[in-house]
Amino acid sequence: MPTNPDLLALLTTMKMAGLTTLILLLIGTPLAWYLAKMENRFKVVIEAIVALPLVLPPTVLGFYLLLAFSPQSLPGQLWQQTTGQQLAFSFSAIVIGSVLYSLPFVVQPLQKAFEQLGDSLLEAGAVLGAGPIDRFFNIVLPLTKASFITAASLGFAHTVGEFGVVLMIGGNIPGETRVLSIALFDHVEAFNYAKAHLLAGSLLVGSMILLALIYLINFKPLRAVKS
Amino acid sequence: MSTLSIDISCQFGGFLFSLKQDLKLKGITGIYGHSGSGKSTLLRIIAGLNNQATGTINFNDTVLLDTGLQDKKSLPDTNLNSKSKRGTQTFIQPQARNFSLVFQDNRLFPHLNVKENLVFAAKRCAHSKLKISEILKLTELELLAESSVTTLSGGEQQRVALARAILTEPKLLLLDEPLSALDQNSKNVLLKMLINIQKKLDLPMFYVSHSLDELQQIADNILVLSKGEVVDYGDIHQIIHKLNYADTDSDSNQLIMHQQTSLALPLKVNNNQPEENHGLNTLLLNDLQEIHFPAHLIKERSANKQFITTNALNEPVKLRFFILASDISLCLETTNNSSIVNHLHGVISKIDCSDNNVLITIDCAGQRFFANISSYSLDKLSLKVDQAIYMQFKASAVRTFIN
Repeated sequence: MPTNPDLLALLTTMKMAGLTTLILLLIGTPLAWYLAKMENRFKVVIEAIVALPLVLPPTVLGFYLLLAFSPQSLPGQLWQQTTGQQLAFSFSAIVIGSVLYSLPFVVQPLQKAFEQLGDSLLEAGAVLGAGPIDRFFNIVLPLTKASFITAASLGFAHTVGEFGVVLMIGGNIPGETRVLSIALFDHVEAFNYAKAHLLAGSLLVGSMILLALIYLINFKPLRAVKS
Repeated sequence: MSTLSIDISCQFGGFLFSLKQDLKLKGITGIYGHSGSGKSTLLRIIAGLNNQATGTINFNDTVLLDTGLQDKKSLPDTNLNSKSKRGTQTFIQPQARNFSLVFQDNRLFPHLNVKENLVFAAKRCAHSKLKISEILKLTELELLAESSVTTLSGGEQQRVALARAILTEPKLLLLDEPLSALDQNSKNVLLKMLINIQKKLDLPMFYVSHSLDELQQIADNILVLSKGEVVDYGDIHQIIHKLNYADTDSDSNQLIMHQQTSLALPLKVNNNQPEENHGLNTLLLNDLQEIHFPAHLIKERSANKQFITTNALNEPVKLRFFILASDISLCLETTNNSSIVNHLHGVISKIDCSDNNVLITIDCAGQRFFANISSYSLDKLSLKVDQAIYMQFKASAVRTFIN
């Protein structure tokens, strides 16, 4: 454990964002697939729910999650019974909050990619003897790789930049729920502008590098096709 | 011989697709109909890509589809029966049917190159008797093996699709208008290749097309569909001859095809020196009568050693061709002082008049020929059924779709 509180906040942030991205890919992929293939009218309802975090103030989501996570409500009680720990103001709480808050950033690019891919190549795979899982890993995944990279990095970056939800349901516990954006807020509140600059600057540069890497990775296959 | 027994119905477009037919899995079976007749839907149902169809499909003794009883009204005890029948419902997934399908659009995997596309198929094939190198050679793709599939021409892409489908070593190869997006030259190449591959691998094929010219060249049997129903099924030449009488398509009110005589006859000599005969080659109609035709129709085929050399069973090499009814003229006596080289002797078996166009059916040593004449000539020659007659046509009236 780093003794420097800002490094500790960085570690917590990376842990939160990494875990959130992993969970989002695991549940976002089947959800996006289901939405892309869905044909009845409930599709728009689910789409609206997935897109809600895009327009909702994070504090609103955080507020309702806080109520749900409290030991007085059913989800909070169930969590406490199974894990023996309180859910609100824990690391698990901010991961669950982040998953919900960043869901559209993962589901939407994947859904679009699956819709664009269509059924024709999957049908071709099926008549060549490939079953559904085979088709997903050997046709869908290689052809939508770029969208998976985009979805994962958007989900990761958005989770790193999160403030409202974490503050509402996580509070500000060092090593547990104190993430970079909250640490930055603390420094500004304490008029410690030098430290605030360091944090804000490194977040800015870090995000730039991450985005540049994404575009670089997405750029490569395109260049290969052209040559 | 294998049989595919189909008894299905399926809501399709504005009408009910309803089909009951046993199809022989031998050679190439053409599935013919105009657009919207349900021919592609039938192929998709056979492949397992359409799960809307109800009824049964059996491949020999294997049940591919069985949705239980189709017509609920015919059930005396609906509840009991439908429940017990639900337990017997069968739908074999497309990947387990081992019928490969070549689509109209090639549907190659863009992230894989030519060879990788073929490996994709070969890896998922249970037997793997065929070698990829062998199939690359058969489809003339050896030089393109490492190319990206997106850089190929339409004809090359369709050849890769064909090679890929063959490498799954299917029990039945389904082809859904594989030539429709190609130019005439690519069509020729691919058609010859299909005939060659069919013979070499003894692979039964269903070939969907809206072009009778195409089917005349490659199909052994043909299934004719209209508005989702079977109109006819049988030998290609006989069906084409039947269609001569149904001169307009009831659906579109257009001429289905030009009235014609469709034939496959053995070559008299398998020579490759047609120059000696003034550029003509000869087919045997029977012991006495011959048909002369321009040698270039087979010259090109023997040149790339596809057509002539592939006959593994040592059968006499046959040329498939057609003669348009408008290219045959009739004469009461034979004449030798004519530039027309083909003179055949036969007996009129049918006279069919519509407006001023007359279709005469002539029986010539068991083979039927069809000739169009005007009603003026019919009167002038006072032709009658059972009358002996001479047919005349130029060597160039012997036509093939592949050239």
